[in-house]
Order: sequence, then C-alpha cells, then structure tokens
Amino acid sequence: MRISEAYYPATAAETVELLRVNPDILILAGGTEIVGLQTSRVIELPAQVVSIAKVQEFRKAIRTEQFIELGSCTTLTGLLGLSPGTLPHPLPEVIRSIANHAIRNIATIGGNLCSRNRFMDLWPLLACMDAQVELRSPSGARWASVSHLCGEDGAPFFPRATLLTRIRIPLYSYNFIVYRKLGSTQYPGPGTATFACLANVEHGKVADFRLAFSGLKAFRLKDREMAISGRKTTSSSREIKNLIDEYSRSFSSQEWFDSRLFISLLEEAFERLFA
Amino acid sequence: MIIDVTVNGEPKRLQARSGDRLVDVLRKDLTLSSLFSDCLSGRCGRCFIFLDGRLVHSCLIPAFKAKGSAIVTFEGLRESPEVREIISALEKAQAMPCSFCKTGKIMAITELLGRKPLPGEEEILEQLDMVSCPCTDPVSLVAAVGIAAELRNKRKFNRADK
Repeated sequence: MRISEAYYPATAAETVELLRVNPDILILAGGTEIVGLQTSRVIELPAQVVSIAKVQEFRKAIRTEQFIELGSCTTLTGLLGLSPGTLPHPLPEVIRSIANHAIRNIATIGGNLCSRNRFMDLWPLLACMDAQVELRSPSGARWASVSHLCGEDGAPFFPRATLLTRIRIPLYSYNFIVYRKLGSTQYPGPGTATFACLANVEHGKVADFRLAFSGLKAFRLKDREMAISGRKTTSSSREIKNLIDEYSRSFSSQEWFDSRLFISLLEEAFERLFA
Repeated sequence: MIIDVTVNGEPKRLQARSGDRLVDVLRKDLTLSSLFSDCLSGRCGRCFIFLDGRLVHSCLIPAFKAKGSAIVTFEGLRESPEVREIISALEKAQAMPCSFCKTGKIMAITELLGRKPLPGEEEILEQLDMVSCPCTDPVSLVAAVGIAAELRNKRKFNRADK
C-alpha cells in the first residue's frame, strides 16, 4: 500500500502551484469515475492527490446572453438545480439520465469531460454544441474547444499538468436533436456509447448540422457535417443512403464499437431529419 | 492521515490511508453498523450517508476527501420524527423492506421527502431504484412514501387527523 499525501487547496492559484511542483499529482473533484472503476476495497491512488471539490472558484455559474459558464466542480445535481431555462435544451434531460441521484450529488461536469479512460455522456453533446473548456496550467490559462479533449487517435486526451477550470456552453438553440445512449443507461462500461446529432431545420433546409458518437473513442466528421448543412430536407433517399454509407465506411474502419448499432442510430437520425 | 469530520453532530477524528473508502473508515473507526460496502460501485445503496447535506454513496468517496465535512448516517437519524414517520408508513403500507436494504431505502426516502415534500410516482421509483433490492413491490413502496409525506406534512403544518 502506497502512502499518499493529500492536499486541500482553497483557490485555483494554489491548485496550479501544486501542479507546478508535481505535474503528475492527481486532481480529484467528485472522483466517481476513478473510484467507481476500482473494485478493490482499498483504492489505488498516486503518491500525491488533491481534492478540489470545495474550491469555490470552481463551483460558480454565470449566464450571459451568449453563453453559460460553469465552474468545473459544479456537481450534476447542482446543474439540475439551476433555474429552469438556464441550461440549454437538451442538457437537463441528458444530465438527469446520468447514473443516479446520489452519484450526481458528487459527480461534476468537469469530471465528466476529463475522463482518461473513455468519453462520458456529456462529451458528444457538448462537442456538438461548440462548448469550450478553460485549461489552466503553471504556464497560464487558455480556452479550447471540448473537441480538444480528443486525441488524434480518437481516444480521450488531457494535457499533462493541466487543470480544467471552467466550461462555456453557447446558448444557441437547435430545433432538431437526437441523443441516444447505448448499453447501460446508468453506468458506463465497455458496451456503452453516446450518440448526439443536432441541427436547425429552417425553410426546408438543414443548417448547423453536427453529429458525434463516443464511448471508448470519439467519432466526428466535420467535413461531412459541412457538406450536410445546406441540404434540402427533401433530399432523395438515394442521397441519404450515400450519406449513411459515407459515415458507415469511416466508422467501420475504427473498430472500437459495433458499427451496426452506430448505423442504426445514424439511420434513425437521418430518417427523421430528411423525413 | 488524520481526517477531522463531524459525524451525527459530534466532532470526530478519523485515521485513514488515502486509498481507504469513507464507508470502511466509518464502519471501522466509529462502528457504524448501518453501513455496508458490498458493491463498491454505487449500485446497492447500503452505504448511503448524508455528506454536507447531500445523499451520497460513501463507498465511492475516498476517506481523505471528507475532511472538514458534516456526515450524517442512519444512526443519527433513526430517532428523528422524519424516520419514525417513514417506518410507520412502511408498516402501514405493508412495504417494510428486508434487512438487506431497509436502511438504504429509508435513507433514500428521507432524502427525497426532504427535497420534494410531495413527490410523484416516477420520482419515488427513480429514487428507490438507487437501492438494488427487489424485496418489496414498487406499488406498496409508492403508497408508503405517500403516507410518509402526508404524516410529515401534518406534523410540519400542525394539522390534526381528520
């Protein structure tokens, strides 16, 4: 059993200083994923751990006309407790579908995005919504797209010695939304994945089309999304079949999830969009 | 490491290694026998505690993270009017859970009625779904929670029995 040292910073600056001294220190907010994945009675943790759950700066929510900005340690229950209409649709429904109430009481939005093992439920939706994350490290702070948390190989990526401090979600609304979870609806596992497809249908045309699918890896084709945006919703069934085939070919080559399940979701989304 | 917490209203000093789960430390150091750590994954509901007022699975919390927190376990609530009313309601509705899940279900109902004085059927079933034991039929449990809510509201608003 490794003897660990625990730290309880009171501010973001103190947390960043801890990262500067030890870039490999483990930062825990809710810790539900790291702890929940371990089946042994004693949890294996690195030599130095930091609990940031009580840092007030990481728990604030600010709403402007353009976006809502959330501290990374805001719990999922805390998000659901915001005044109705504060979070853009369909985030409240999606958050309510994560785990159970007692887990949502400790799990945080930052933790949902920072998982090193797999993409959790919020990633594909927030990626489609063009959400951004503030990443702080000893060398400074910067904003990056949520998509930045996906490596070139499609696996989750999080920069070393870095802290996710805030999440900024644009309040742009979509009138076409398909969000589905595959596998266990409550607890993530090897067979779980999440599908999100957003668009705006205006005057018989598709605008702002986005589609992301994630689980152990993430899948998104931005060039295809650009090509679909601007199409008429009355596109022929042959054109729609071609779109599905293009997505299917790209996805099948990745081999991290049963492509038949992905294709059935794709068909459902496209049939509804081009009905 | 030493972790200072408040447990059921009393200041306590817990001795833990950083990898210890809170449920195990509470059971070992304070002999809180209502707590069990069976699933270690937040599924069985046998380790429910209130941590700073929020219902949580104590098996999912590393003990070191509880430093400075206020913890309430079933032992601290057992004699409260809220829990007495819930037990009475479970008896009336003939929905008393088995010994495996009883405290988990009572903790879950206590929390639900604390935040929703008149919960709907769907909310009740979702809340009780956190305790994975099929010993009691859901219809009776929903009825019991309704009775408990009524008893609580009568007491709270000083209403006499009709």
